[in-house]
Amino acid sequence: MAARLYVTDSGRYVHSHPFTPSHLQPLILHPRYFHAGAIAIITVGLPARGKTHVSRSLCRYLRWLGVPTKVFSVGNYRRQRLGTMPNDFFSPANEDTKEQRLLIAEACLKDMIEWLEKGGQVGIYDASNTTDERRAWIQRKLKEHDIQTLFIESICNKQEIIDSNIRSVKISSPDYVGWDPEAAVRDFKNRIENHLPYYKTIRDPELPFVKLMNVGEQLIVNNVKGYLQSRIVYYLMHLHIQPRIIYFARIPESLNESSYKADADLSPVGHKQAEALKTFIVNYRQQQLDMGIEEKLRPLTVWGSTRKHASQAVRHFAEDDILVRALPLLTERNPGECDGLTPQQIKLNDGCHFVQAKFPEEFTKSQQDPYNHRYPRAESYHDLAVRLEACIMELEREKNDVLIIGHDSVLRCLYAYLFDRPDDEIPSIHIPRNYLIQIKPSAYGCRETRLEIQMEEESDEDDQL
Amino acid sequence: MVGLPARGKTYIAQKVCRYLTWLGINTKVFNVGNYRRKLAGAHVPHTFFDPANPEGEKSRKEAAAEALADMMRWFEEDEGIVAIYDATNSTKTRRAWLQESLNKKDIQVLFIESICQDEEVILNNIRDVKLSSPDYADIDPDQAAEDFRARIDHYQEQYETITEEGLTYIKLINVGSQVIINLIKGYLESRIVYYLMNLHIAPRKIYMSRHGESVFNVEGKIGGDSPLSPRGEMYASRLPDLIRQNLGDQNLTIWTSTMKRTIQTASLLPHPTKKQWKALEELDAGVCDGMTYEEIAEKYPEDYANRDEDKFNYRYRGGESYRDVVLRLEPVIMELERHQNILIIGHQAILRCIYAYFMNYSHEDLPYIKIPLHTVIELTPKAYGCDEKRFKVDIEAVDTHRPKPTRAASIRKRASTNLASKAPGHLTLPNPAGASGEIVYDPMSPILPLTSPKLTSRPSLAVVPALKDPKSTPSPPAVASLTGEVVNLQLNDKGQ
Repeated sequence: MAARLYVTDSGRYVHSHPFTPSHLQPLILHPRYFHAGAIAIITVGLPARGKTHVSRSLCRYLRWLGVPTKVFSVGNYRRQRLGTMPNDFFSPANEDTKEQRLLIAEACLKDMIEWLEKGGQVGIYDASNTTDERRAWIQRKLKEHDIQTLFIESICNKQEIIDSNIRSVKISSPDYVGWDPEAAVRDFKNRIENHLPYYKTIRDPELPFVKLMNVGEQLIVNNVKGYLQSRIVYYLMHLHIQPRIIYFARIPESLNESSYKADADLSPVGHKQAEALKTFIVNYRQQQLDMGIEEKLRPLTVWGSTRKHASQAVRHFAEDDILVRALPLLTERNPGECDGLTPQQIKLNDGCHFVQAKFPEEFTKSQQDPYNHRYPRAESYHDLAVRLEACIMELEREKNDVLIIGHDSVLRCLYAYLFDRPDDEIPSIHIPRNYLIQIKPSAYGCRETRLEIQMEEESDEDDQL
Repeated sequence: MVGLPARGKTYIAQKVCRYLTWLGINTKVFNVGNYRRKLAGAHVPHTFFDPANPEGEKSRKEAAAEALADMMRWFEEDEGIVAIYDATNSTKTRRAWLQESLNKKDIQVLFIESICQDEEVILNNIRDVKLSSPDYADIDPDQAAEDFRARIDHYQEQYETITEEGLTYIKLINVGSQVIINLIKGYLESRIVYYLMNLHIAPRKIYMSRHGESVFNVEGKIGGDSPLSPRGEMYASRLPDLIRQNLGDQNLTIWTSTMKRTIQTASLLPHPTKKQWKALEELDAGVCDGMTYEEIAEKYPEDYANRDEDKFNYRYRGGESYRDVVLRLEPVIMELERHQNILIIGHQAILRCIYAYFMNYSHEDLPYIKIPLHTVIELTPKAYGCDEKRFKVDIEAVDTHRPKPTRAASIRKRASTNLASKAPGHLTLPNPAGASGEIVYDPMSPILPLTSPKLTSRPSLAVVPALKDPKSTPSPPAVASLTGEVVNLQLNDKGQ
């Protein structure tokens, strides 16, 4: 959770924590964000069209924006209640199971409405919803509760995308535990076939909807109004499902680690670190290719900030003809009036006395809320996260591999986005120096590997400001 | 651009051009209508546009070809990045011709089609814009409107909406109520699309004011986070009346920075929606924060001179340049476009940047725009620009404006010598990249679409925007940036 931009008082009094029993907590004003009210996102599309990928990614993004968001997956409800089912269960033609299927869909929708009424803002209803009747029914139910709807239809007319989706996502689903992969693919394709005759694409021009063709190739945006909705559309424009890798590395050591204003050059050790990082990543990628873990070597781009030490580090890569980019957005958190305090000074006297002496009240506040607290004229982690949003869009769009050489404050925020970490954890996410963090995005989230880069000399520890 | 006459194509073209130029992307509109007027004269009857009229057809085609040729020349000679080809381009044949001619030069194409079925919007557009065009100078308005309707009908006969597969396009239907986006690739394209999706044409007013005079203003110091001076407080107390007189009870959103002086200035306004933006913070003067200009001149004489030399690109030591601020404000502009009535209580450098966006100022002039204290500026967006009113509140305040030194005129020349001095085939690394305390001159666009690792430093886009195909010139890597400056890796790009 991070980049909250608008908090409006158009919300209502609700329990502050939707998952704690209500008698254990007082009623507080729960703000709605972005002037938006409650929104239900309804996915539409045949199986294996990337609905789950869209739902999960969108959920992660909205939570990072600070919007209370939750996915309600009808598939999960069905598995919880009935376990795995034979294929004819899913056929819309099967009258015997129709009622059961309807009951599950209804229960899931009911839970979503309840959650939204308790203070959730965006509920994502992840199901196929392929018929006009089903969509009308959902629309009607939600309208009764004064909840806005936005339909997101995933359409795919390229068999190779569907096939790769079935192979990479579906056959690893709980429904196919213990199946022979080929049999699972056949079974799943059957399931799609069953749906096909009943599938109707959205045609009603009154409905607010987004149609996604072949994952981002074409988007049709109809009657979509509202701030949050437009953010959702913009985000969807950037999504893709091609495999790629994101790497994180800390900026090597500079001559003055404690001062922001100094904008210091890289230290000699820093130059060695940069060179070591370059050698390491180039060799590592080659090794992954040789071992067959990666199918091909995608081009690598290195991103750094426009600060001196970062651009000097990045230059080591440019000299080897690796594409590098300087983004001012990646500049570290501005420490404001705390500039110049070294970690050592803070460590002295049990870590905090220097700051404490200067800003006793500020220090206490920062301990209480390290994510939102802003030292005088400084940026809070939250401010930084807001600034990084454009970067996240760019990162989502990128189809090649990216290495981000960033300050730990920046990498923490980006990491929290990729791994859906709550905001109060962000300031303490551990991003060590001399490590390469490899992140592989997939439909259900990201996978991470941390690789140590062996250096001759050890360098200093994290700065905590 | 694609669309029938009076569908707001020129409006869109101008808006996109202004937005990209403000971001530092070299952009130009090529209006085929202007070429046609040059070739065939201004006063042509609607029969000129009849597809059955071979003479009209021929001369319209000539105008289209000439505009395109000029556009190509501009890409090559003036390092253009985004060109906007403003014409109806309403047939598949015409679009295929454009796509082919531009692709031959490795220029990528983005079609923007504007479709409007709402008669009222079309009529308004004809009345407000078309009748005042040079085509209808000295002609009776009713007669002109009739002639224009006939002209639209001629186009309508042949009009084919975009259905071609493989084209990159966005269709805006009925002022954004439906949007179709096809095969958008680069970052710059997606930015343009998002920008278009945020535009609206509802009438509104944008107010901006600096904070009331602050203690630092009185002391002649820059930066800081000082409270208002007594005169500044008086200004804050007069603000609510002034706004009420001009806006009545209409809704108004108020934005401030997170600094004391802007929050204090807004504190007495009764409007419930107030928002503090970190992005509206004053330009960060780095080590010079809290100094007077005299102190800076004494302590950092070189920096002081550099700043006068190129105020837009000069980055304070450990601080920011105006260019940095423009990029930081980009999300604010996106939000501003979405909003209705708004009042921004900001700082001098910030309001200069925002004002420059609406009033189309160049980067050279931007840092010298006069935004005096104790003055409310009212902007009313119109079809091609903004109407402006200024309300001076009768409370004395210090003048914080420093005029442009006369020698600043040499910037352009200096910059071009910089470019030319690179040895061919050699990748030079100017020192230090992204330096603060120096002029960080950015000869390239801040938002470079990155489509391939072999991208040259300067891709081009035509609107029908087009992006240069990177594969054409094998070149060394570029240090380019998302919303930032190129960190001065000069390349052996073409033309050098």
